[in-house]
Amino acid sequence: MIAFENVGLRYGHGPEILKDLSFSIDPGSFHFLTGPSGSGKTSLLRLLLLSLKPTRGRVTMFGEDVIKLDRDRLLQMRRHIGIVFQEFRLLDHLTTFENVALPLRVRGQSETSYRANVEELLDWVGLGDRMDAYPSLLSGGEKQRAAIARAVIAKPDILLADEPTGNVDPELSERLLHLFEELNRMGTTIILATHELALLDKFGYPRMLLNEGELVIHE
Amino acid sequence: MSEGLKIGFYRPGPIVPAQSVAGRTLMLLIGIMTFLSCVTFGGVLLVQKSAVGWSADVGRELTIQIRPVDGEVLESNIRLAISLAEAIPGVAEARALSLEESEALLEPWLGAGLDLSDLSIPRLVIVRLSDPNAADITRLESEIAGIAGAGLETHAAWRVQLNTMAGTIVVSGILVLSLILVATALAIVFATRGTMSTNREIVDVLHFIGASNRFIAGEFQGRFLMIGLKGGAAGGLAAIVFFIAVGMAINAVMPEPSSAQLGFFFGRFALGLNGLLGIAGVVMVIAGLTAITSRLTVRRFLLQIS
Repeated sequence: MIAFENVGLRYGHGPEILKDLSFSIDPGSFHFLTGPSGSGKTSLLRLLLLSLKPTRGRVTMFGEDVIKLDRDRLLQMRRHIGIVFQEFRLLDHLTTFENVALPLRVRGQSETSYRANVEELLDWVGLGDRMDAYPSLLSGGEKQRAAIARAVIAKPDILLADEPTGNVDPELSERLLHLFEELNRMGTTIILATHELALLDKFGYPRMLLNEGELVIHE
Repeated sequence: MSEGLKIGFYRPGPIVPAQSVAGRTLMLLIGIMTFLSCVTFGGVLLVQKSAVGWSADVGRELTIQIRPVDGEVLESNIRLAISLAEAIPGVAEARALSLEESEALLEPWLGAGLDLSDLSIPRLVIVRLSDPNAADITRLESEIAGIAGAGLETHAAWRVQLNTMAGTIVVSGILVLSLILVATALAIVFATRGTMSTNREIVDVLHFIGASNRFIAGEFQGRFLMIGLKGGAAGGLAAIVFFIAVGMAINAVMPEPSSAQLGFFFGRFALGLNGLLGIAGVVMVIAGLTAITSRLTVRRFLLQIS
């Protein structure tokens, strides 16, 4: 599904942030991406989200070389990828329902066509009674569950999560991880960036360890 | 979820929040620009209408000037000039100005109570054309030249001057309108860039969840189009009120003869249907300019950050 071959990344003329990354991710797998702050986790996630192109090497996703893709094809491919951020990044002027429905709305779907699905998903993540609430009225955990719901509403093949438990307490972190597990069991490939060792130890998924731009995978 | 939402009256909230766009300031600016554009347009239209009317009036009249010449009978030369003029096709009538009328013409320069019999001044024959295009002016000119001391004045130099002046005003007006539109476009570019920077978080999130640049640009364009329409309509309405108020003020302040004289020289201070349609056109152009400029700016911004 995803293959990196000798991938390097630098911003402008700066030093190389990611060096010679070579790995592959199978469909339906679950990987932790970990490493110290500044090790390049977010840059790697941005490469995986196709919002950056590598400065060298080859990235293949869904069987296509992403370097060769034009803007429209990149957009199509990006729609197969969901993303969850540590800071939730919900739009404050939209309700929980509207935030979660946003990926479908930007694809041109009508509200009547997706309402039932969005309500069902919000029920599933435990926000059935918070649909009309604005993000400012949600707790950290609720915001993150809304963000996860937004990331998966369009049924992406890959779900990327950048420190999704960074702003919630340990108990809620575990509950969120169970949510990601559930999504993974339903077939979504998950790459979850975190540096919380407790979670890494408790959930024994393969670890992609980034350190100073170099990657080691611990299966 | 309320019942209203479930039975289909629900509309999702706007993706670009209204208050995040520098709407009120931009709307005011667009209103002012539209007002200036409409006043310029209206002014140019009035001048052009007056110039065309005036030029047509002047073009329908010729003047034969007959100077007193020793050995010639002035009155018989006048009669000859009239009969020659009336024989030309396209001439409606020719008549000599009476002594009283000539005195009235000279009164502003020579004072009242003038006795023309004491002065050796030329007499005038006014020739009114029914069809300026059909009239053979060259033939009339050559025939009039046969009368001792007579000459034909076609007012051509006046008309050229008048048309040149009107043309200059029209071109200046178009230039001013163009500059206003350019200034408006630049203001919209800056406002759009500011809005995009303010809403960078929304743009990023939309990108991450798979929104195309076209979709994002459309969301922002919708906001700016509304601002352009509202600002443009307000400016256009203000311009119409301005023209009505100035027209009423001229009629109220000026005595009837002066007002009529002003109307004769500069046309009535009323826009008419053409003017109103023109103002509506200016409003639409400004609204369209706002929408297009903002869309191009947004797309350029999105390409830069992609």
